[in-house]
Amino acid sequence: MAKYLLKRLLFGLVSVVIVVAIVMVLIYSLLSRQLVFQQDDTYHKLNNNQKTMYAMRKWQEYGYLDYVTFQDYMNDLNRKGEVDDATREEAVAIGRKAEDDSELTAEYVKKFTETYESQGFEVVRLNAVTARRKLASGGQQQLFATRDRPLAQRLWGYFTSIVTIDTIHAIDDEIDIGPRELTFTTHDPVYGGEKFSPAIMGNGTKHKYLLYFDNQFPYIHQNLVTITLGTSYSVNQGKDVLETMTVSQGSYVTRPTLYPTGHSEESADDLHTATFLQGSREGNQVLANRFDDDYTNVVTEKAGMSKMGYSFVIGILATALAYLLGLPLGIFMARHKDGLVDKLGTIYIVFIIAVPSLAYIFLFKAVGGSFGLPTTFDMNSTSKLMYVLPIVSLALPTVANMMKWLRRYMIDQMNSDYVKFARSGGLNENEIFFKHIFKNAAIPIVHGIPSSVLFAMTGAIITERVYVVPGAGNLLTQAINFYDNSVIVGVTLFYALLSVVSIILGDILMATVDPRISFSDKAR
Amino acid sequence: MNQEMINLKGLGVPEKELFSFVTHNDVESEKITAPRYSYWQSVFRVFFKKKINIIVLCLLGVIFLFAYVYPSLIEYDRYANLTDATAKHLMPVAALEKFGFHLSWILGSGASGEPTFDTIWVGSRISISLALICALINMTIGVLLGAVWGFSKKFDFFMMAVYNIIANVPYVLLISVLVLVLTASFWTMVFALTVTGWVGIAYFIRTQVIIIRDREYNLASRCLGTSIFRIALRNILPFMTSVIVTQAATEIPSYISYEVFLSYIGIGLSEMSLGKLIYEAESAMVTTGWQFEFWSPVAVASIITVVLYVVGQNLGDASDPRTHM
Repeated sequence: MAKYLLKRLLFGLVSVVIVVAIVMVLIYSLLSRQLVFQQDDTYHKLNNNQKTMYAMRKWQEYGYLDYVTFQDYMNDLNRKGEVDDATREEAVAIGRKAEDDSELTAEYVKKFTETYESQGFEVVRLNAVTARRKLASGGQQQLFATRDRPLAQRLWGYFTSIVTIDTIHAIDDEIDIGPRELTFTTHDPVYGGEKFSPAIMGNGTKHKYLLYFDNQFPYIHQNLVTITLGTSYSVNQGKDVLETMTVSQGSYVTRPTLYPTGHSEESADDLHTATFLQGSREGNQVLANRFDDDYTNVVTEKAGMSKMGYSFVIGILATALAYLLGLPLGIFMARHKDGLVDKLGTIYIVFIIAVPSLAYIFLFKAVGGSFGLPTTFDMNSTSKLMYVLPIVSLALPTVANMMKWLRRYMIDQMNSDYVKFARSGGLNENEIFFKHIFKNAAIPIVHGIPSSVLFAMTGAIITERVYVVPGAGNLLTQAINFYDNSVIVGVTLFYALLSVVSIILGDILMATVDPRISFSDKAR
Repeated sequence: MNQEMINLKGLGVPEKELFSFVTHNDVESEKITAPRYSYWQSVFRVFFKKKINIIVLCLLGVIFLFAYVYPSLIEYDRYANLTDATAKHLMPVAALEKFGFHLSWILGSGASGEPTFDTIWVGSRISISLALICALINMTIGVLLGAVWGFSKKFDFFMMAVYNIIANVPYVLLISVLVLVLTASFWTMVFALTVTGWVGIAYFIRTQVIIIRDREYNLASRCLGTSIFRIALRNILPFMTSVIVTQAATEIPSYISYEVFLSYIGIGLSEMSLGKLIYEAESAMVTTGWQFEFWSPVAVASIITVVLYVVGQNLGDASDPRTHM
């Protein structure tokens, strides 16, 4: 069985890779790149060559292409010590047209062109744009090499950068930060160095705290291994998709905080999350007063739950409610077929299947609102009542689905020989229903449990929008609207992984419930 | 012997009551003496036996009449009353008072002073057409491919891989990319909804085919040398009719719902459709006195989908030969 499941998992992972590849083709190759600038005011203000350069820079940030300017190339040569400062200065000054170049410049331009063309880059030279012999606005001459990122390279780069392990060489070796080492302390300085609380800290690592304890579930935390699904560009700038989904929201929670310099104040900073940000203390008195090294980039603690947290709480409660209501109702409908409850239930099922989901969610909202339930979600409110309507709106359609299938399966089972046999053996109807028919009819229902639990995390698009829930459901549509390519890819990967895992878990659960089902090769 | 026969004649028994020789007739012996059974006739007989079906079918007729004939009878101009500030956001009673009694105004007026009733039917035409065309394309491709998928074991392996991949590409993403790449027109939407939409149907049909494929009567048929094509057409397709009709009954309304959903999240048609109407009127829902603008397209969309669903489901039930007894 383990072997079979492993094979399934591997097949699943392969299809996940293909899905990511398809999504990359969709967003990087099919969509026009120009769309990125639709809401970008800076782009529309720029003119001529400057506009082109700005576009190149943005496209590189969004992950479309790689580009290198002639200036970067010369600086690079200078750093390597192949040219001295004076030569660099002189060579960088390219002429307005190629013919105007000095001999030295022409020589390096030729080298530049050869180096990059051999790597598949296209070298572009934009001549100066002039108006009445003067440079036009943004008309400075430009020279750069550019290359579209090929799909294979993009895929490889993406999948190899998902898991990163923090080492003491994570920060550029050229930056002088003192001895690079890992230190183990039994008294975490965040707690004043008096309370016993072991922690592993690093210097030279990306995170300052690699392993630490605090008072939040699961109490022990690590920063050694980081998962990166895709760094957001416009939805939540500079943050990873997972972080966007899991970081707390709402108003700040302040508590007395002791900073590394000994400065103490009421703050929401969570010092355990500190990451390195080079030169952050220079010219920033606030940070300089608080930190004694450049590990200053901290996450603030907020009162609300994360996007995924809200979605999961609502989703999981809705799923529980759906099973609690749907199973008994389905059984009752099958038990008293053609009775009143069965007929009413069928009308309800038809209503939910046929009517657009948007329509009945609004209907629930209107009905709930007239009972005085809050119809919009407010993160700062402590009222639990605001959870009621989103949960009910999510649960009621699932209830209908559950009723429909359970009723169908049970009625199909009712005509089986084993039921007749049980009846002839003298069992009463309740025993037949609950001990025999229900057990058999529930097997396909059991298969869906893992997926409904796991997909509770991803949230529901319409429900969250209608009730203004700050959940994860809208992340994908938001990313699409803002052309945040890496978020789209990250979210897709997350969904695809969930679906692969949930189907396998469903099969395992089904095989545990029903001993007749076996996935081992022998039985097949 | 002869003697005895003469004697019988002498008894005065009429000729009819006596035994006589019957010649064997090859043609006659092939005929089956049973009531004539026509499949489709029986389907409609069963369908119309239920009174509710006649009512629902009439409703469907009215809906089609309003969606396809009514818009061409009226002159609909959305912005005809744009400059008239008093014509906007009227409740039905106020609108009827203002414009005189006319069918167009019985649902009040909308944000640009247009008659809500007319707008709804103009939008319904687009939505219903979209649903019917998408369902037709998806069902055709889905049923044909699903049948092959169910029959061929080699194809099954390949198609399962394809299915696993396509099912995991986010639908919303695919549609929004297609809408952005092409234009947000009607045919783009049809393309976006059908480019992967058939996979689910094909998978469903595949499962059904596999269930019937290895039944004894098909095995017998194959042993007698029937070709796969004939088995598919004659042995399996009749079995599948009710399944296909039932599936179509859930598909058609689902496209209307899907269009509403897509419009709501901002990836809609450029033409006026039911979904776009609901999306645009959403803000009117929370304003007192304007709710009519929002609830009437929602209600009409719901009625259309429910009627289509019920007709389809009951037709599906009636096309199951087991109900023909």
